Amino acid sequence: MDLSYTEEQNLLRDSLQKYIEDNYDISQRNKLTKSDTGYSATNWQQFADLGWLGMAFSEADGGFGGSAVDTMVMMEEFGKGLVVEPFLSTVVMFGSAISEFGSSAQKEQLIPGIIDGTLLGTVAYAELQAHHDLENIETTATAEGDDFIINGTKSVVLHAASADQIIVSTRTSGASDSKEGISLFIVDAASNGISRTDYPTVDGLRASEITFADVRVSGDQLLGQLDQGYTVLNKIANRTILALAAEAVGAMEVLYKDTIAYTKQREQFDHPLSEFQVLKHRMTEMFMEYSLSKSLTMKATMLESQNSADAQRTIHALKYLIGKASRFVGQNAVQLHGGMGMTEELRIAHYFKRLMVIDSQFGNMDHHLEKFVA
Amino acid sequence: MDIEFSQEDLAFQKEVQDFIKDNLPKGMDLWTKRGEWFQALREKGGWDVAKWPPAFGGPEFTPTQRYIFDMEMARHSTPPQLPFGVGMLAPILMNYGTKEQQDRFLPGIRDGSVNWCQGYSEPGAGSDLANLKTRAELSADGTHYVVNGQKIWTTLAHIAHWMFCLTRTSSTGVKQEGITFLLIPMDDPGIEVKPIITLGGSHTVNEVYITDVKVPVENRIGEEGKGWTYAKGLLVHERTGLAGIQNSVLALEKAKDNARSVKVGQGTLMDVPAFRNKVGALEAELLALEFTELRTLAQVSAGGDPGPESSIMKLKGTEIQQRISELNLEAAGVYGAAWGNPVGHSFAKGATSAYLGARATTIYGGASEVQKDVIAKNVLGLG
Ligand SMILES: Cc1cc2nc3c(=O)[nH]c(=O)nc-3n(C[C@H](O)[C@H](O)[C@H](O)COP(=O)(O)OP(=O)(O)OC[C@H]3O[C@@H](n4cnc5c(N)ncnc54)[C@H](O)[C@@H]3O)c2cc1C
Repeated sequence: MDLSYTEEQNLLRDSLQKYIEDNYDISQRNKLTKSDTGYSATNWQQFADLGWLGMAFSEADGGFGGSAVDTMVMMEEFGKGLVVEPFLSTVVMFGSAISEFGSSAQKEQLIPGIIDGTLLGTVAYAELQAHHDLENIETTATAEGDDFIINGTKSVVLHAASADQIIVSTRTSGASDSKEGISLFIVDAASNGISRTDYPTVDGLRASEITFADVRVSGDQLLGQLDQGYTVLNKIANRTILALAAEAVGAMEVLYKDTIAYTKQREQFDHPLSEFQVLKHRMTEMFMEYSLSKSLTMKATMLESQNSADAQRTIHALKYLIGKASRFVGQNAVQLHGGMGMTEELRIAHYFKRLMVIDSQFGNMDHHLEKFVA
Repeated sequence: MDIEFSQEDLAFQKEVQDFIKDNLPKGMDLWTKRGEWFQALREKGGWDVAKWPPAFGGPEFTPTQRYIFDMEMARHSTPPQLPFGVGMLAPILMNYGTKEQQDRFLPGIRDGSVNWCQGYSEPGAGSDLANLKTRAELSADGTHYVVNGQKIWTTLAHIAHWMFCLTRTSSTGVKQEGITFLLIPMDDPGIEVKPIITLGGSHTVNEVYITDVKVPVENRIGEEGKGWTYAKGLLVHERTGLAGIQNSVLALEKAKDNARSVKVGQGTLMDVPAFRNKVGALEAELLALEFTELRTLAQVSAGGDPGPESSIMKLKGTEIQQRISELNLEAAGVYGAAWGNPVGHSFAKGATSAYLGARATTIYGGASEVQKDVIAKNVLGLG
């Protein structure tokens, strides 16, 4: 057993920390979230130049052969920096699905662009009637000769407005809540029949509602096996949950540390707030929630990267724990800052909102706790 | 003991319900026709100022009638009044103001033509309110005060005509002494209001900078240096109002409706055990809190003071408000992120803002941690 980072991982973390320190204070982030695209194309190009976009891809695919642990290292730092660039949607959600399930033609066509920063992707999975059930899909893909025709609506598709390619989960057979009969397609975002409503999300990112009206795709655009797409979709969910958990751990670290720093400096009743016992205990609990979250994130990430049989259950436990811990840490960071905690001016407000949204992505805490105990 | 309302109380409840049915504007009219609604309440016999004593135009309600009245108003979502004038300043004017001050300010408070804001908190004086530093210096001729300082978190200062304000007139002795209660017009050139944008992007609170504002002594409530005593009575008033129990009863019903509109598998979110249990737990606690309010009421009706239970209302009531907002956020699912944009479930648009806004309920009007200290000391005798 070895729970330490490799030399390369330490270097990777250091370079991320340095980058974020130099380029990513909260006022710069606020500028980005208010810009047209919601992120910086310059930053994105630098991510590519620094090798971060290619980190998780195999050397055969042109990447650096990194593992889920490398992604965890990156996402934790992105969480600390509250980075808005579409790394999660393009590299984790879209990219890892292509690298694991794509045909060689699909990989050759898509992966180099992801690595060099010229291609953005996302995954359209959520639907209104599904709540958090991944397999509940009413968007249909109907075979027509060698082609398929897609119809339906997808919700809260992360960074869809800037995506060039979108993986769409569709139903090709079976009942609308069956895990059988799901097929995934890689769809060009500029295809005829796609219309979008774009909006900023509460955590400063971008998302869209997407309607597919008779969108024609060729059989070559199928990702994985026909009707067997649930395996791919679930893999995307698991990979994304691990990344979200690492991001949440990073965000929680900032929140509990900022709260300690604030209460040391804020005086009421002629004492720093940090001297009041109830607040000391509360901050200790915040630290506990953070530490446990970090542990389980590491464990689940290692199990997943070793394809362990325990990975799935652990990921359910993780998404539950992260949701619960994030809520506790976020709410108490606000509470202990008093009125200041309610302001958009302090960065903790933005971390709080990001953590709130993380719980709603790929199943919330109740959803995963239920699966964990099932 | 008798858990039922008396015949007279039931008749009164019916009277209130009928009044609401006959007079409450429907749907979209609610906002534009709120003036007519308040007029009707007034003509009914002071129902617009139900908490005011009869001597000041309020109704002759027994404590139970007032409880029934508040409950019915909340249950029917009648338009609320801004709390600062009618609920907070008016009782102070009645208790400590001069006849001239009452005649001058109460009518505008009552008919809603004058908006008030509460200028208590300062950057260095939040939970420790007595630490406030805004200075008021009496002029040599004794006709006015010159006020300098800064207030913060002042709700609706940007639409207020007047501010009731705690100022420091003396820095010797204990902090609680030397505080003076002044009424300050917001259109004075020495007043500058700067918005503070809160979680979720809304503007309700402000910073208020006060520079060389001359306040005539006629605008002082009561004696110089006694402002703390006046304000403290008011804070108790504010806190009981903040529990929002009846609003929570209604909000929980609404949350259930929302959850029933969210499909999960073959059923709805209300069929999901984890969610349903949270709803149930809240409902049970609300039943208990409602009855706690009634126990307090019974003591007051019997001529006693509200008793120790009244102190837990704000604490528990605000916690419940926050938990209800969590239910709605969870019911919104992925659409919680789409905040402010009309996508997904129809209730989702408001659920996120409500969740964010509800974080403040355990901060304002006495932060929960400090409230617990107060209860431990005053109720439980713990140091
Ligand atoms: C939305 C909103 C509206 C408001 N409207 C108004 C208004 O209209 N007028 C007005 O005057 N004020 C208003 N306030 C201010 C409000 O009353 C203060 O925010 C509140 O008193 C807390 O003070 P603070 O923000 O300075 O927090 P602090 O006093 O700095 O407290 C920060 C944290 O420390 C804790 N703490 C403090 N002291 C202790 C202790 N001794 N032991 C343990 N824990 C402690 C608190 O519980 C809190 O969690 C408003 C605030 C908000 C958020």
